[in-house]
Amino acid sequence: MPVRLWRTPLDIEKVKLPKAEIHITKDQCNGCGYCIQYCPKKVLEESEEINARGVHPPRVVDEGKCIVCGFCTAVCPDFAIFVVEKQCEGGCYV
Amino acid sequence: MNIAGSVDCEGVAKFAAGLPHVVLAKDNRYTCSDQGQELIKSDVKEHKLNRVVVASCSPRLHEPTFRKACEEAGLNKYLFEMANIREQCSWVHLHDREAATEKAKDLVKMAAAKAALLQPAEEIEAPIIRKALVIGGGVAGIQAALDLADTGYKVYLVEKEPSIGGTMARIDKTFPTMDCSICILAPKMSDVGHHPNIELLANSDVVDVKGYVGNFHVKVLKKPRYVTKDCSACGECIEVCPVIAPNEFDAGLAIRHAIYTPFAQAVPSAYIIDMGICLNKDGVIVCDKCMKACDRQAINFEMKPETVEFDAGTIIVAIGADIFDPSAAPNYGYGKYTNVITSLEFERLINAGGPSGGHLIRPSDMQIPQRVAFIQCVGSRSDKIERLYCSNVCCMNTIKDSLLIKEHWPETEIYVFYVDIRAYGKGFEDLYKRARKEGVKFIRGLPAEVIEDRKTHNLWLIGENTLQKKLYEMNVDMVILSVGLEPRKDSEIIQRLLTLSRTQDGFFMEAHPKLKPVDAATGGIFFAGCAESPKDIKDSVTQASAAAARSGILMARGKVTVEAITPIAYPENCNACGLCTKVCPYNAITLNKELKRIEVIEAACGGCGTCAAECPFGALTQNHFTDEQIVAQIDAVTEQGAEKKVVAFCCNWCAYAGADFAGVSRMQYPPSVRIIRTMCSGRVAPKFVERAFARGAAAVLVAGCHPGDCHYINANYQTQKRVERLWKRMEQQGLNKERLQLLWASAAEGERFASKIREMQAMVEKVTLEDIENAKKVFEKALGGG
Repeated sequence: MPVRLWRTPLDIEKVKLPKAEIHITKDQCNGCGYCIQYCPKKVLEESEEINARGVHPPRVVDEGKCIVCGFCTAVCPDFAIFVVEKQCEGGCYV
Repeated sequence: MNIAGSVDCEGVAKFAAGLPHVVLAKDNRYTCSDQGQELIKSDVKEHKLNRVVVASCSPRLHEPTFRKACEEAGLNKYLFEMANIREQCSWVHLHDREAATEKAKDLVKMAAAKAALLQPAEEIEAPIIRKALVIGGGVAGIQAALDLADTGYKVYLVEKEPSIGGTMARIDKTFPTMDCSICILAPKMSDVGHHPNIELLANSDVVDVKGYVGNFHVKVLKKPRYVTKDCSACGECIEVCPVIAPNEFDAGLAIRHAIYTPFAQAVPSAYIIDMGICLNKDGVIVCDKCMKACDRQAINFEMKPETVEFDAGTIIVAIGADIFDPSAAPNYGYGKYTNVITSLEFERLINAGGPSGGHLIRPSDMQIPQRVAFIQCVGSRSDKIERLYCSNVCCMNTIKDSLLIKEHWPETEIYVFYVDIRAYGKGFEDLYKRARKEGVKFIRGLPAEVIEDRKTHNLWLIGENTLQKKLYEMNVDMVILSVGLEPRKDSEIIQRLLTLSRTQDGFFMEAHPKLKPVDAATGGIFFAGCAESPKDIKDSVTQASAAAARSGILMARGKVTVEAITPIAYPENCNACGLCTKVCPYNAITLNKELKRIEVIEAACGGCGTCAAECPFGALTQNHFTDEQIVAQIDAVTEQGAEKKVVAFCCNWCAYAGADFAGVSRMQYPPSVRIIRTMCSGRVAPKFVERAFARGAAAVLVAGCHPGDCHYINANYQTQKRVERLWKRMEQQGLNKERLQLLWASAAEGERFASKIREMQAMVEKVTLEDIENAKKVFEKALGGG
């Protein structure tokens, strides 16, 4: 497209995008890092803490960026992470 | 007077009468008219003439006219020759009658010398494929495709965007009639989608075109949509897609998702996934929300790009124009101040189907503005931003826009800052008057600067009213920049693929500005719409229908004659070295190893003649541009006063056309140059250059198309090699290699040609008799044969 798209779209506030609630069962994590590596929105990172299995479980950087694709749940070999859509009154807005 | 103004035509005619082989010479006006042609015909019959030379305009203009007259008089058309004493003589030496007359005499002498050696020739006929390719699916491409398809021809319509419709689909209303733009376009778009004769290739790029008029072979890359034909456009997928981006169709004023349809009326109506933002990259399906939402299972992330190949007889180029990005004019603050918008953004705001539901709102606070200013000529008619041309549509577009505002919010104060208002078309003046009557204020003088009030986001315009000679400072709520049109960024790709020329402005150049306004110089290719120059919708549609008719003429005839300028082989001289087979751009020459000689496939030959220039044994020459004929021209130029002359070899398509263009534009240059026309600069054999020097020419110019623009694919690369070899030799022999010049000039670069001649003239004046003698000695051998 010829002209640069630089404006904030006028209808940006009307767009309903799902809001996420990320649940990590830290002690179940084996530290493989798949969830961090495969997250398309780069929502997760490795934390400093050490869990019961002696590895660094993931930590949420920005929950607002998560789009609830659920890929982390799908790739986790130890069922240590799952995401649910937040239910807010009157819908959730980004 | 066209010619007689600066050339003594009677004197030239008298001179011509005294030339060898000439039995009749006449000075006549308007020889191209019916009477003039009749005169030629009756003279041919009465005097039993067997060759005809006309000294007048460029052969690129009227050679076909005179050839036809000769044919009607019973003379083979290849026995006709033209001396170009208008574009390349009288028009470029307006103020030196004596020198112009001398040059005209030389040009006639050259033509007569060549004419004496002309041979009759028969043209071969090639069939035309009755299918057309239309590149670009804006309103021009749509109209051209529909016209051709309705005539009964198969049409391939290639559009790079996911939907056809082009710029017209984004406009709210059209001028001067205030029709709803998409309402009149959408039915045509849907006709294209349903027409049995049209194959629509949207989201596709033309990647390769080979062949020639009547027989093009086209390759199109169909980019994947990731949504199959099963899509019913229900929109369920959009609801669930979690990725958003600014919507191009709404100029970024609204959002779209990664899976989307460009706009409601899009054709084809199938959805598309923007892989640039979709989460599923490199075959890993991370997010399957759209797949789950799609009842018809129309989403397929495995889809791969596909190459479609087909043959076409004619091509219509309707690629449209880009819209000027006003951030290149920083004094208006576009991109910095949110309430400065472009006229295209305005169209989306005022459109009922647009992001604001048809309310003209200020992006800063979503309020309806009370005072609005339009600034004209943003990206047009300006030295500073290198857009010298008028964009043709912006004045009327602004007038229409101002009336649209008045229609919805009559109280709005509207100011239009302009340079000139150009309301030249049918019904335009009425619309202009109506706008003034409705209270739109027109102020002559563009603002020098737009400044934003940081608190209110209102805008201050500062400039001079040039009618009142007063400075103004005006405060408005919103500024609309009336942006111009510019050539598509990817015009260059199309230019290369189809070997077209572009003007200095960057738009495609037509074969003749008056008489062939929709034809490209390359046979079988036509232009429609803004690709050729900025146009409004009506003109685009008119030109599209014209282009369809022109290409229809060719296809209805069903065959095309190929000019008899193919090579002539003399097998007895052939050494079977195979050099010619290597330089032929069309692979039209093969080496028969058993018989130890070459074989020419005439139908595949493009007619550049570079094989003839390459052959070291004289086993090949080119019909109508034989070695003898060109040598005769060189000899005619150098017979007298050679030490002050520049012998120029110009290719028909670029350099010769550029020299013609210099004439049409009356660019003046020194009269020392004598141009010999060849079809391609690749025809210029080193021996021609050597012979010119051996006969004492002061300088030689070899001129052709820019590398990559050659009309014979790549034949001009041979030109470069040959000239470089000659330079090397000149250096080794202690000659000044400046005396041989190589110039790449396109058909639009008249000034480039003219300034080259000026530059060479300065050099020629420094060439001493001793230099001339030295060159004569070095190239002595070239005088043999010929």
